[in-house]
Amino acid sequence: MMASLWQYVLSGVVDGAIFALVAAGFVLIYQVTGLINFAQGEFAMIGAMTAAALATAGMPTLAAAGIAVLAAAVVGALCYLLAIRPARKSTGVTLIFITLGLDVALRGLALFVWGTNPLSLNAFSSGNAIALFGGALPPQAMWVLGSDVIVFAALYLFFRHTYAGTAVRAAVANPPIASTFGIPLRTFAFWSFVVAAAIGGLGGVMIAPITSATYDMGLTLGLAGFVAAVLGGLDSLPGALVGGFVLGIVEHVAGGLWSTGWEQGVGFLILVLVLVLRPQGLLGRATRRA
Amino acid sequence: MTAIPVATATLEVRSVTMRFGGVLAVDDVSFSARTGEVLGVMGPNGAGKTTLFNVISGVQRPTSGDVSLRGVRLTGRSVEDVASCGVTRTFQTPVMFWGLTVRESVEVALAAREFGGTYPPAPLRELAPCGLGSPGRRHAQAALRERADVLLAGAGIAAMADRATESLAFGEERLLELARALAVEPTVLLLDEPLSGLNPDEVDAVIASIRAARTDGVAVLLVEHAVGELLSVADRVVVLDHGRMIAEGLPAQVAADPVVIDAYIGDELE
Amino acid sequence: MYGRTGLVLLVVVAAIVWILPSYYTGLLTLIGLYALVTIGLNLFMGYAGQVSLGQAAFFGVGAYTSATFAVKANITPWLGMVLGAIVAALVAYALSFVALRLRENLLALATLALGIVINVVFNQWDFIGGTSGLKDIPGFTIGSFTFDQRAYAILAWALVAVGIWFAGNLVRSSFGRSLIAISAGELGAQALGVHSERLKRQTFVLSAVYAGAAGAIYASQASYIDPTSFSFLLSVNFVLMSVIGGLRSLWGAVIGATVVVALGQILQNVVPVVLPSARGDFQSFFLGVILIAMLILLPRGITSRLSEARRA
Ligand SMILES: Nc1ncnc2c1ncn2[C@@H]1O[C@H](COP(=O)(O)OP(=O)(O)OP(=O)(O)O)[C@@H](O)[C@H]1O
Ligand SMILES: [Mg+2]
Repeated sequence: MMASLWQYVLSGVVDGAIFALVAAGFVLIYQVTGLINFAQGEFAMIGAMTAAALATAGMPTLAAAGIAVLAAAVVGALCYLLAIRPARKSTGVTLIFITLGLDVALRGLALFVWGTNPLSLNAFSSGNAIALFGGALPPQAMWVLGSDVIVFAALYLFFRHTYAGTAVRAAVANPPIASTFGIPLRTFAFWSFVVAAAIGGLGGVMIAPITSATYDMGLTLGLAGFVAAVLGGLDSLPGALVGGFVLGIVEHVAGGLWSTGWEQGVGFLILVLVLVLRPQGLLGRATRRA
Repeated sequence: MTAIPVATATLEVRSVTMRFGGVLAVDDVSFSARTGEVLGVMGPNGAGKTTLFNVISGVQRPTSGDVSLRGVRLTGRSVEDVASCGVTRTFQTPVMFWGLTVRESVEVALAAREFGGTYPPAPLRELAPCGLGSPGRRHAQAALRERADVLLAGAGIAAMADRATESLAFGEERLLELARALAVEPTVLLLDEPLSGLNPDEVDAVIASIRAARTDGVAVLLVEHAVGELLSVADRVVVLDHGRMIAEGLPAQVAADPVVIDAYIGDELE
Repeated sequence: MYGRTGLVLLVVVAAIVWILPSYYTGLLTLIGLYALVTIGLNLFMGYAGQVSLGQAAFFGVGAYTSATFAVKANITPWLGMVLGAIVAALVAYALSFVALRLRENLLALATLALGIVINVVFNQWDFIGGTSGLKDIPGFTIGSFTFDQRAYAILAWALVAVGIWFAGNLVRSSFGRSLIAISAGELGAQALGVHSERLKRQTFVLSAVYAGAAGAIYASQASYIDPTSFSFLLSVNFVLMSVIGGLRSLWGAVIGATVVVALGQILQNVVPVVLPSARGDFQSFFLGVILIAMLILLPRGITSRLSEARRA
């Protein structure tokens, strides 16, 4: 019993690391544009499907993975340029609906391109499972956790230690004043989509060897990313990391002890509880409306 | 919520403090407002006037202290409950109901007053009398319309009753907001800079409305940077500076108070 | 005006079902049922200015309630329809305490999440069929007459007529104007004593009543339901119907439902000819693109153009 519980936790850590990547994309876009991007999960899907399709066509796994991340970034850029930018003067609800439309459209597009069959991707490194206190981590886990470390460290360094990062934070805190100082908000919004899509794509690439890739995986991944992001605090990148792991572990433990079908339900119950009890999330700042 | 008899209404603000992180926006402020008086609230920018209104109207909960209306505690109630108790307000930046016409905006306020802002079994209640344009419904709507038109005439904007609120100029927005607030027949009316951005005719209209409300027994709290107008219309004045109440008294006394003059001049020098 | 036009529409439907092939009559029913859901959704989104990305769940609750009572307890769908509306209303009422404290972004997220939780319940609750759903759901009957496609179309559009008449009265009442005031400036409305939370809750519950009743008819007409019939994608479709017709318009709901269902049919027939590899719910690509295009080009819906044209 205890042993299997530990195994659920370990599996949860792997999933959680991926959720954290998707969540980081949400937080990034939300911080810069104030927008919840409902299409975030589809960036992960694009990453996973592209990598799996290229690898199936014979490309080396790591090369396929790299191109997949780039492809996701390009899709992110197109989404911003074609759908978000033309509507930037709209109200909040309109923009929500637009990202919803992006979500649906990208999923439909994937269906055109890749069909309904799942595609598989080899693990990035062969080798045995890594034993850990009686549980086991798949070799892919090291890649997943490694990319978490790199992504979050890079984001941290960017926001804390570069001029551009400081400018973004200033712009977010006070948009009108920021534009008086010539801080280019629109450029930031563009890059937030590109980077968020790349990070999401990376998450998809990482999960593809574990679950295989399907055109409709984006919805589930995106929703998990939402929950993780809201759980940690929509305006907090460390929160995305924590939220991702908490969600991954809770889902796997609940699914393992109870039944897998409820996994998603549990995730959403957490989301709803957080929204009601602590809408700013675990690590987010409380904001007051005037 | 039963309305409090107008004749005895008094607003009591007791030791209200409002802190935002390190900022003391309102610092231990106490005063009261009587029925049928205009209480001017003065103070330089950032003195805490709007925050004080937010606390009184239930928009923000004070860090400490409380507000009551003739013994009924308002602090802790929602904005709409405070309004149902008879305290309503306007905003420093007018809030317009886009999508409605000028008259309809006032009708919303009238209906809120009439139904206490709720429509208990709303759908049923609305279904019963209306039918396919039944006489009962038409009659009720005509009555509402008539009262709205009286209020619009009072505010001097009768001519724009059928205009969309999106099309109003800033000054007209202020006048409409005032008419809307008066429609709920408040006991206490909080006006946050109602004269700013108005042309001279509009200023006269607002001042006339304030005087009329006072005659009707409303306690009017008036925040205004136009010191001349404020002193001429107010019966009493309180002065805030950096959240503290630094003076209280008759307009002439306050205007001559060196502490007050200091606060304003000090502010200009800063 | 809403009442009379609704009646005219009902009469038209009742007339054309006699010449329409039964397949198209079925579509007409579907349009009516979706229109009903969208009318409710427009009250909540267009007039009260809120967001719901979980409306398919209420449609599903209505369908499952009626179907379960009919299959398990042999209760007539007529009563099932009422029960479906009531249960959907109760669910919405309970959820409103969670969802309606939130606005915009977070409200969208919460309703989406709640919609999916409800779908998980459909999937996991074996008593109501679990993943395999409910089969052989009894149809509506009057005496010994069991409803055929024509009768369902007439029933659906009779409800549309009633629903639009009721909603029309509502939006032109003080209630409806208060909703518009809330959506434009909630704090301003509250300061006048408008109990915005209660009004939003009542509207949310009412939208669930529309969806629940429609869902109940859907269950009997289709005679088979499973959780995939009430997925997130259907909620997106409802949003699309709202947006296409115009959020703050009741006739827009009818137009939006018609356009979306018709478009789905056209895509289903045309796309495989052009692109033989297309399978599954590929229409969603077009629905997404149309949603985005509408919001950029005509954010207030088709009906806004129509009324401008009439005025000009
Ligand atoms: N929500 C808030 N969070 C943090 N600080 C606030 C908040 N609201 C007000 N403040 C601060 O409280 C102080 C008082 O502000 P307030 O708006 O009440 O001043 P005011 O007297 O109305 O000024 P003005 O004449 O410019 O309208 C200011 O320093 C302001 O920055
Ligand atoms: Mg102020």
